[in-house]
Amino acid sequence: MPGLRLLAILQTDCPTCRLITPYLNALAGGSAPVTGVSQDDEAATSDFVRQMEVRFPVERDPGSQLSKRLDVVTVPTLYVLDEHDRVIRQEPGFDKNILNEIAALLDRPAVATPHDGAPASKPGCTSRHLEPETEGTSPALNLHAPRGAEASTIELTDGEDPYEYCFRVFKDGLPVVPPTPDRVAKMLRAAGGDPRDVIARIPPCYGEATLEKIAANAVMAGCVPEMMRVLIPLVRAAADERFNAHGVQATTHFAAPLIVVNGPVRKELNFHCRQNVFSNVARSNSTLGRALQLILLNLGGARPDGIDMSALGNPGKFSFCIAENEEENPWEPLHVDAGFAREQSAISLFAAEAPHGVSEHNARTARGVLKAISYALATVWTYRACLAFEAMVVLGPEHVHTIHRDGFSKKDVRDFLFENTGVPLRCYAGEPGDGVAQRAQYKEIVIDGEPCYQKFRVSESIKIVVAGGTAGKFSAVLGSWSAGPRGSQMVTYPI
Amino acid sequence: MPITLVNPMNEVAPESAAAAPRLPGLKGRTIALLDISKPGGSVFLDRLERLLKEQYGASVIREMKPTFAKPAPPDVIEKVRRADAVIEALAD
Repeated sequence: MPGLRLLAILQTDCPTCRLITPYLNALAGGSAPVTGVSQDDEAATSDFVRQMEVRFPVERDPGSQLSKRLDVVTVPTLYVLDEHDRVIRQEPGFDKNILNEIAALLDRPAVATPHDGAPASKPGCTSRHLEPETEGTSPALNLHAPRGAEASTIELTDGEDPYEYCFRVFKDGLPVVPPTPDRVAKMLRAAGGDPRDVIARIPPCYGEATLEKIAANAVMAGCVPEMMRVLIPLVRAAADERFNAHGVQATTHFAAPLIVVNGPVRKELNFHCRQNVFSNVARSNSTLGRALQLILLNLGGARPDGIDMSALGNPGKFSFCIAENEEENPWEPLHVDAGFAREQSAISLFAAEAPHGVSEHNARTARGVLKAISYALATVWTYRACLAFEAMVVLGPEHVHTIHRDGFSKKDVRDFLFENTGVPLRCYAGEPGDGVAQRAQYKEIVIDGEPCYQKFRVSESIKIVVAGGTAGKFSAVLGSWSAGPRGSQMVTYPI
Repeated sequence: MPITLVNPMNEVAPESAAAAPRLPGLKGRTIALLDISKPGGSVFLDRLERLLKEQYGASVIREMKPTFAKPAPPDVIEKVRRADAVIEALAD
């Protein structure tokens, strides 16, 4: 609509105000009139404008007069004003859908996509004039700035072996390719963009994953430069709040981020999806998984001798990356389940335990194969615990053949496993332990005539992937970390 | 010739903050007891609450994180920051 303008009430130290600012920059690009109003003093406001590279005018609100008049409760609050400065829309907090609706009102293209690494929505902070009086202020954390610092360089002393130097200083348990400037430059050329562009901040220490830092870690992991186009969305996915790397990287549990690669990129970059899919079979799988781990360690800061508190760890923390064997999958691959087109390349991240094998060579029917898998699923986490986790089932092609031949769709497989995975009620008669105190929340079902508690919350808690070689009747079950909005949710990002 | 490397590590300096000064005593103070919702946390904090009230004359605010798996949400932080000190029950 013509004549409309946008007023954004902001606070310089509010994380949500910092989160929304790049989107306001995008709205301000071209002709849409956007004005920011800072509730803070001159110095804090000019720091904010510089750090966030603000591209719209920002005024100050001395004495919070405007904020009081508009009755602002939280920041950010966006006001759409008509040509007579009447408020026609008022939106507190950060919400991608609302930002796109406002963009449409201002005749601008959409500014927020679901896969840019930012949450779909985030509540704001209390407006300055409503805050309780506190003594002094803390310095604003520089969150969400689009540009980070240039990486420093390290001069090795003459004659020092760079491999030994990397062991000693970067403290990784395997050799790495020394990240020399020319190797890093090749990665950056393949990526395009400014080396200082911040792709994400990696929890739990929120180190800046600039393109240059991602490139240096990709070099160390042995990636080819073309891998940068997979690594960039992967780093965004790893920092997605739904995946919750903050918890996954620090937990005492076994979980490690498992990467599942789907779509044409599998062939374009030679990802392997057949025999030994979980092993050291292909450079692309091994180096992408390793690059993610190095980025999580070196930029996220959860080191295995420090903040990563896993009691027993996970061999996947060296590298944990498979591709789906879509050619042997008669159903929809994983990224199609997540809503993408089959032709769209994508990566998914799932906080997984190590694979638990199901060797079932003599079952002749779909039901027989799936029964074997359901018994492995029933022991995920620990035998009496239900509902708080998910699982990934990686079906080997021979098992898939049997299941599909009997007319099962992918949904049928998921539903069968959901309905047939449970813990017999008699197990709860003994000692106290995990899952016993939560019984009241469990659902009682009957499996093969025996009363059981249903293991999983919903059928979709069981993620189905087809992978592996065509010789041998094997599948694998991978338990998850604590799942859902209170734990880690699987995320799928387009490449 | 010496070799140059691009530093692959995080170089953002962590923000540092001084520890709060020790309280001179507990009498009349407000102590927040924060349960991160791990099993057993409430057992520990129930006992502390009784001790703080009965033996030390402190008042107590009880707060709980919705999940131990994520950082405390802003409303929980907002409530516990009103106290003079916070005791957090970690682990099981």
